[in-house]
Amino acid sequence: MTWQGRLLHIHIAPAASYEMEELAEAQLIAGRGIVGDRYFLGTGTYSPKPDVREVTLIEVEVLEAMAKGQPKIPGFKAELAPEDHRRNLTTRGVPLGHLVGKRFRVGDTILRAARMNFPCRYIEELLGMPGLYEGLLNRSGLNCTIEFGGIIRPGDPILPMDE
Amino acid sequence: MASPRIIMKLKVVATRKEPGDVLVVELQHPRKPLLPAFEPGSHVDVHLSDGRVRQYSLCGDPADLSRYTIAVKREPEGRGGSTWLHAAVCVGAELPVSAPRNHFPLKQGNWPVLLLAGGIGITPLLAMAGVLNRQGKPFELHYFTRGRAVAPFLAVIEQVVDRSKLRLHFDDDPETRQDIEALLSTRPSDAQVYYCGPPGFMAAIARASEHWPEGSVHFEAFQPALLDDAPPEPFTIILRNGTEIFVPADTSALSAIRAAGVLLMASCENGVCGTCECGFLEGQPIHRDAVLSKDARSHRFMPCVSRATGVLRLDL
Repeated sequence: MTWQGRLLHIHIAPAASYEMEELAEAQLIAGRGIVGDRYFLGTGTYSPKPDVREVTLIEVEVLEAMAKGQPKIPGFKAELAPEDHRRNLTTRGVPLGHLVGKRFRVGDTILRAARMNFPCRYIEELLGMPGLYEGLLNRSGLNCTIEFGGIIRPGDPILPMDE
Repeated sequence: MASPRIIMKLKVVATRKEPGDVLVVELQHPRKPLLPAFEPGSHVDVHLSDGRVRQYSLCGDPADLSRYTIAVKREPEGRGGSTWLHAAVCVGAELPVSAPRNHFPLKQGNWPVLLLAGGIGITPLLAMAGVLNRQGKPFELHYFTRGRAVAPFLAVIEQVVDRSKLRLHFDDDPETRQDIEALLSTRPSDAQVYYCGPPGFMAAIARASEHWPEGSVHFEAFQPALLDDAPPEPFTIILRNGTEIFVPADTSALSAIRAAGVLLMASCENGVCGTCECGFLEGQPIHRDAVLSKDARSHRFMPCVSRATGVLRLDL
């Protein structure tokens, strides 16, 4: 499968529930996470399921679909800004759902997709958006480990490695 | 259970002292022109540097979302939060502040409203008075303090509340004193009362308004109620899945529930913020909180301070 995507935004938060802050560049540390982020510092919210979230990604296409009301959830229409979704990296043109178990490049770094992200009620409570959980079902992004660290910036290309 | 709230790292843009050892702090978002909306009576959680959390009412104008205003009375005998804030907060400092939460909403209606403030308890009622005054609603603000010289916000109150609606009561001025029992002895038709202040004041209003109907008396406390002297007894909690949790006399229900592996959010751990609220299905709780209404006490429980006799089945 051939594709080529782009990194649009980088966000981190210092601890669980803290507002996400946008970065112009971020340092990824292999096996650890994004410097300054809650999952690098150990101050995040963790799932009791086996949990990997050194870096989490979401497709901007999902945010655009939700803003159009796709799928239809009665009473719900979410304009979810990139700083609201609580994933670290917002991408365009990257088929995140196809990458589980595979490696891919973000700029000079290499990530390995560990599992799909599961949405949870916490985000809809935090943002005061009932219905957001359903809106994100099956498309709330990808949780990754960092195999090769480095500096990433918005605009960096995102490319496949493992076919 | 109360829902989590987003935490923002807000910038302190102004501070000033008010009488009564009160520090007024104005906060703005470093990147956004507007903060999340709030209603009169709302409070925010302020996260201290050591991880502790304190609740402060938003006492500014809800129509002005460019900034939040909180007021912190220094309590040298308190748990240390206010002393730290007085010492550490200066213009340019950053304070982690949650989005607002409201356990003390002003009911919409045209009935007469009685706002009763004791000292620093003026903060949520100040926002209410400003809104009621602007809406032209019938209300009276009674402000009880030890004296004019130690009354925070007097100048602000006199700006935002018509003099005809303001009643000032100073302990050191016998001519202004007001007997609370007498004030609340008769209820004007449909009147609603809202009150906030220190524990002794809260207890006095609660006693004086006992004959007011359920749903007409609203309060918010920032310190737990005055407790009776009964020493805590151990009791047992049973969760929905049948798990039994023993709560020793010297342990809070919240700590015991958490030790049993249940993730339960909490904030003030003092019975005033409502974060850890949960339901109970069966048993005899001993309510020690200052949040739940008489009605809610029949089925809700605050595990940070409340206890029970024997066995309590929680909806957890």
